[in-house]
Amino acid sequence: MHTKKAAVFILLVCLPGISQAALNVFTCEPEWAALVKELSDDEINIYSATTSTQDPHHIQARPSLIAKARRADLLICTGAELEAGWLPLLLRKAGNAAIQPGQPGFFMTSDYVDMLEVPTTLDRSLGDIHASGNPHIHLDPNNIIRIANALTQRLIELNESGSKHYQKNLEQFIKRWQQAMAGWSERAASLRGQDIVMHHNTWPYLSHWLGMNAVATLEPIPGVPPASSHLARLEKRLNHDDVAMIIHADYVNERSAQWLSSRTGIPIVSLPASVNFQQGETLVQFYETIIDALMASGE
Amino acid sequence: MDDFNISILGPAFVAGLVVLSTHIPLGREVIRRGIIFIDLTIAQIAGLGVIIAYSFGWDERGFEAQMFAIISALTGAWILSLLEKKAGKHQEALIGIGFILAATAGILMLANNPHAGEHLRELLVGQILWVEWHQLFYAALISSLVLFVWNVFRQSIGSTGFYMLFACAITVTVQLVGVYLVFASLIIPALATVDIKEKYVTLVAGVIGVTGYGLGLLISALLDLPSGAVIVWCIAMMALIIKLIASQMITFK
Repeated sequence: MHTKKAAVFILLVCLPGISQAALNVFTCEPEWAALVKELSDDEINIYSATTSTQDPHHIQARPSLIAKARRADLLICTGAELEAGWLPLLLRKAGNAAIQPGQPGFFMTSDYVDMLEVPTTLDRSLGDIHASGNPHIHLDPNNIIRIANALTQRLIELNESGSKHYQKNLEQFIKRWQQAMAGWSERAASLRGQDIVMHHNTWPYLSHWLGMNAVATLEPIPGVPPASSHLARLEKRLNHDDVAMIIHADYVNERSAQWLSSRTGIPIVSLPASVNFQQGETLVQFYETIIDALMASGE
Repeated sequence: MDDFNISILGPAFVAGLVVLSTHIPLGREVIRRGIIFIDLTIAQIAGLGVIIAYSFGWDERGFEAQMFAIISALTGAWILSLLEKKAGKHQEALIGIGFILAATAGILMLANNPHAGEHLRELLVGQILWVEWHQLFYAALISSLVLFVWNVFRQSIGSTGFYMLFACAITVTVQLVGVYLVFASLIIPALATVDIKEKYVTLVAGVIGVTGYGLGLLISALLDLPSGAVIVWCIAMMALIIKLIASQMITFK
């Protein structure tokens, strides 16, 4: 009887220790899952709530989502209201104190970069939900470096025993990344100064990095065609200007891009919106695909 | 696996019960009047109310937005009740038109603010897994009031009263479980029990609803699928099965 009690007691005492063997990371988007994978050791479990073919603004709630959030030690999301439609609900439902705002386990990548398209005046007659600026920050590789630095600090804070390992991974990653960046900048040099049309507002960070000018956005509200006057102006302007390409995310319906392309002869470029983390793609490979697609349209 | 199930599925199941408590009796009335799509229209009008509140500068998640949602829903319901008298057999078509008018009004109001549009249109469409206890308390309160008025004052409130009561119930439940589950809870048990003897109707409809929600939640947890969608299918399946069983056991009227 006493040995049974002792065994249970020892087990209970050791249980917290057992569960801390691996760090559980919950990311809202796959690009952060790919980044934390580069920086961490094998003892980390990474789960991404969305895939590269999903719009991160919305999510279908399923039981495993809440379960994963419950067990998470570190939450990595973009913030800047990208996930405002579902993350607060998920955090409340999960009831996990470690990943609530203000805790070390709560990491918003947009805190560490300079945001584009921050509204200078808040027009409160219709308001502006994206008051923090454009949240699609992962499309500028300079941002990846800033975030990687901050994320490594956070990983060390959460798991000091791994700090040497994380530092080493960070240094190696930054070296590889900067080399790759130099390569991309060189390959994409001819894109500098070119005009492009975007389908939705996903791409400003990409065009900013590559020095392209986004002259128009096609469908501001998903699924709703632009107003006819907007289209007329667009067509007139594009037939005069020399616009290089129409860019859209590969999961988006191509219909309006095709409409514009057929009237103006401007080629359409379909780009992945994020890293295909679930299939093992890396950040470098994701950027390679983008640069390849952009350069291919020039030929 | 099972330790998270209860605390995630528990509130969802209770939400189902709260929804069924008003939607089973109200659904019978909807079928009787042949105004099947009224729930979609009212939900859309309530959503428009939130958009209007937002355009006045109120927080879309705040108390004012809720008030606007209910007031819009009540106004819409009142107009639809007037149409019942005037339009007769064309009423269903007019309800459908009301739906698209409300939906497109929302698009127009948000046309110059694409970011707002992404969030606001979905604000009134809940997902059952997100439900929390304080929401349930508020919903249960409103539902009890609706049930009380429906059972005690049904004759005296007349048609208009039914539409207004309905608007209150729908505005609350659509935020809990979403538009598809509201439709399923309203229509499926009611339709399955049209031919059942009066005294057994509530029992049979209740069994369909409760087993539909319960089974749906369990299956969604086992297969890790979006719960709302699975529950809709389970309610439909249970309706078929139970109707078959009931038709053997209980005589038709």
